[in-house]
Amino acid sequence: MNTAPHSLRPLGCLKAGLRQARQQRALLCRQMATTTSSTISSSSQTAPDHGFYKITDPKTQRLRSAFAVYSPSAIATSPSALAPLIQPSTSSNPSGALARLIVSPASPDPLPALHQVQIKRMDPTGARTALFAKTRHAARVGDVLMVTHRRGGEPFAGVCISIRRAGIDTAILLRNHMGKVGVEMWYKIYNKNVAGIEIVKRRAKRARRARLTYMRQAKHDMGSVSDIVFAWKKTRKVMTTRGGGGGGQRLVVVLRRRRRRGSRSREMREGVGERRGRGEGGVDGNRLCSCYLFC
Amino acid sequence: MLQLKSMLNCIDNSGAAIVECVMVVGQKRHASIGDRIVVVVQKQRGAHAEGMSASSNATKVKRGDIRHAVVVRTRQNVTRRDGSNIKFDDNACVLINKAGDPIGTRINGIVGQELRTKKWSKILSMAPMQA
Repeated sequence: MNTAPHSLRPLGCLKAGLRQARQQRALLCRQMATTTSSTISSSSQTAPDHGFYKITDPKTQRLRSAFAVYSPSAIATSPSALAPLIQPSTSSNPSGALARLIVSPASPDPLPALHQVQIKRMDPTGARTALFAKTRHAARVGDVLMVTHRRGGEPFAGVCISIRRAGIDTAILLRNHMGKVGVEMWYKIYNKNVAGIEIVKRRAKRARRARLTYMRQAKHDMGSVSDIVFAWKKTRKVMTTRGGGGGGQRLVVVLRRRRRRGSRSREMREGVGERRGRGEGGVDGNRLCSCYLFC
Repeated sequence: MLQLKSMLNCIDNSGAAIVECVMVVGQKRHASIGDRIVVVVQKQRGAHAEGMSASSNATKVKRGDIRHAVVVRTRQNVTRRDGSNIKFDDNACVLINKAGDPIGTRINGIVGQELRTKKWSKILSMAPMQA
């Protein structure tokens, strides 16, 4: 019974040795390869033949493995890796290749590209990015914002104290008072649970600080913004009766309906007209409080 | 981040106004929203502040009493699963008995939503609002 493992052991050694040799050869090939990339690329495309299990990449339909050695030609498809390849094109001898390996500059920071991809996925319309971009129309620190949650519940409104710009992790800090107690909330703007962020009120003057943490002090505290939000919701209702798409037509319908009602109709109509005028005035002046709901 | 000697506001009508944490129950780290702590009542709420109707409740706890409590607000940021963060301007708790039922009958003030995941539904239903 004891002999069986002994008889197996030399075979195992051989296997390990062969495997090592194969890997060494592959590495050697990779170092030397500049002009003769065709053979290596073919070998890599037909799966690196080591004994580990192989995974098929669902996108490219190529075999992938944790220990796969990819050919330089495959790497060179990305534009960032192309530059060092072009540079020593005059000398295609192995010494040039070695020099290239040593001299090749560090690849550019991959994180911004990754963030771009992620932002594209989380915000296909670009509305969230636009809302917190550094433009005139965007939301700024000091504005009163309202965040609507996808999970229902009361929307959280508050003064935007700071905007933490960090790619996909970009977040806003809102502060409000709820029942005499100050409440601060951080929201990630690219979060899918954040259904909408609306600008309730813009700050009259641009804040001269990036982070308004001084608003936590009792002296500068804004208190509850519920009054502002309530007033804004009232005006928003007027806006919605005017309608988003075919606004004009709906306005006419509203007017007709009100005309039918009789004595009160005149005041109502005047009221609507006045509001309409105010809205038009606000459109070209960009201080109009706007609403951004992400769908 | 509440631990030994932390002072908290008591936001129910049990009669305590300010309590001091003497122990965090069931864990060896600091307490957060929804955690159970043991407190000593340091300051009683005046009967006049509560009004006549609550004066009977105001006698439920006295200064020096040792009671259990649930943390409902913290100054320390509490991170939620979706990456949002919440922080309050004060630390607050609600007194409970050993069985976990609140001693007071009313809560004045906001409580954190983390109580829901920690199964403090009685406190949540008493609270006027939650954030």
